[in-house]
Amino acid sequence: MGTILVVAEIQGAKIREASYELASIAQKLAAAGGHQVKSLVAGKGAAALAEDFAKKGGGDVYLAEHDLLANYCVETASRAIRAAVDACSADIVLLSNTPSGWDVAPRIAAALDVGFVSDCFKIDLEGGKLVFHRRVFNGKLDALITTSSPRLVATVQPGATTPFAGTTSGKVTPLSVEFPAGARARFVAVKVAESKGVDLSKAAIIVSGGRGVGAPEKFPEVIQPLADALGGAMGASRPVVDAGWLPHHYQVGSSGQVVQPKLYIAAGISGAIQHLVGMKTSNFIIAINKDPDAPIFEIANLGVVGDLFEVVPALTKAVLAAKG
Amino acid sequence: MKILVCLKQVPHQDARLDVRSDGGWIQEDNIKFEINSYDTYALEEALRVKDATQAEVVVVSIGPERVTQALRTALGMGADRAIHVKDAAADGSDPLGVAKILAAVAKAESPDLIFTGFMSDDGNFATVPPMLAELMGIPHATAAVHIEHKDGALTVSREIEGGAQEVVELTAPCLVAVQTGLNQVRYASLKGIMAAKKKPLDVKSVSDLGLTGQVGAGAAKIKVEKIAPPKKGAGAEMLTGSTDQIASAIVGKIKELGLL
Repeated sequence: MGTILVVAEIQGAKIREASYELASIAQKLAAAGGHQVKSLVAGKGAAALAEDFAKKGGGDVYLAEHDLLANYCVETASRAIRAAVDACSADIVLLSNTPSGWDVAPRIAAALDVGFVSDCFKIDLEGGKLVFHRRVFNGKLDALITTSSPRLVATVQPGATTPFAGTTSGKVTPLSVEFPAGARARFVAVKVAESKGVDLSKAAIIVSGGRGVGAPEKFPEVIQPLADALGGAMGASRPVVDAGWLPHHYQVGSSGQVVQPKLYIAAGISGAIQHLVGMKTSNFIIAINKDPDAPIFEIANLGVVGDLFEVVPALTKAVLAAKG
Repeated sequence: MKILVCLKQVPHQDARLDVRSDGGWIQEDNIKFEINSYDTYALEEALRVKDATQAEVVVVSIGPERVTQALRTALGMGADRAIHVKDAAADGSDPLGVAKILAAVAKAESPDLIFTGFMSDDGNFATVPPMLAELMGIPHATAAVHIEHKDGALTVSREIEGGAQEVVELTAPCLVAVQTGLNQVRYASLKGIMAAKKKPLDVKSVSDLGLTGQVGAGAAKIKVEKIAPPKKGAGAEMLTGSTDQIASAIVGKIKELGLL
């Protein structure tokens, strides 16, 4: 028994898909544990969205409307969520692990002095106890986490489950939130990505190198020649760009370009989640890595455990020979 | 101006990840450790402020004796002082416990700025920095890719989805949890390493911080019960043989896909 509070998120004047996924998890837990599901929709001009969310999994919705909630800001978001938690004495508070969710959720847990689990891909109720599943070590291992805290806050990975598909009946209640004078955090602007350099999203073939390539000069020496031989483009994983080996426009992943080529060759890329998100829907994936346990092999179609400095040049030679 | 940088020592990115016999974490004996990659960028960012303004940079880390090495490295890179919370009573702390320890250190130091990494390379929780900010009652920003300083305020660009950035302004004192890649991290010079040997490294216990019984495994509200390799899916078809055999098998596949 108790209350699950779903913190919905508005993006581009719509409730995010991830919020319906949270509703799906909340409704499933509620059905198993006898909780009631309530939600928070905070924003500006969000009344219609709140009404809609109440019917699509949100249950009874608290609607917090204010100019200061038009854009995400840690102080104002935190105030709104705390107000909703207090209003329903929420036992479980669910947020999505989005840039806003991961920013504010730990603060809520610390303020309430309750348990917190971030970035879960699954939450189960086993024998009356909540069990959280999440990845650790950059996707190399799965962790199973339990809590001794009677109340808790958790964030859920977007895309981890399907959105709630049923209907719910809930009413929308306005929630008043107090914002103290003298803000110490202020939203300024959102800057969209500048498009420069190669548009990898249009390439039919991409050959990407990762940390395993080892040095900046190895990209033109080893990776680019294979991309050229195949008539494709060169890409890279985040550590390569972070190290300054290649500019940001080469980066494939959640913080770079999301690509879906006909063929994606990953050399020396272990397959951190942030990279996989950017390329896993490629039509065919070939991975070359010296670590047989690298997560990249889980999503690849074809894998080679070996030294990329042997395999890639041999492959370049074979491709050129095949073209005659 | 004083900047506190929180560092975590984590298993080296190339370390073997063998699960401990009780299943609760990895086997940490006989593996190499390093400063969490995100935290090196936080330290570098603090050292750049120091280079420009003579700010004092204090580094803090929690953990066993091995953590001394991480702190000495940070001092070698240019930090002025180090605080090592070394106490078995802190073992098994959950992120909230870690945040409480760091908050106790931070309250005693009252820094103008706190810089941390966005997350750790081992737990990937990304939880401690916002919790620490909450316990300190100060604003924060996570996933920072750019920081500008201006009259007691910071303008921070946060990495959000789709390559976009969200710009926020924070009034100091405040905390910034940095993303990797926001600067180029320096190496400790030989001169720096020699100088580091004379820099103060204070060791503190949980009771020194007034946190007896409030942190450590006993006080943890969440517990990692078990870790294991992810469930294997169908996975890739693995090619074996000589390098030339592998290369020609791949070429065969690319032809089959109609791409050659």
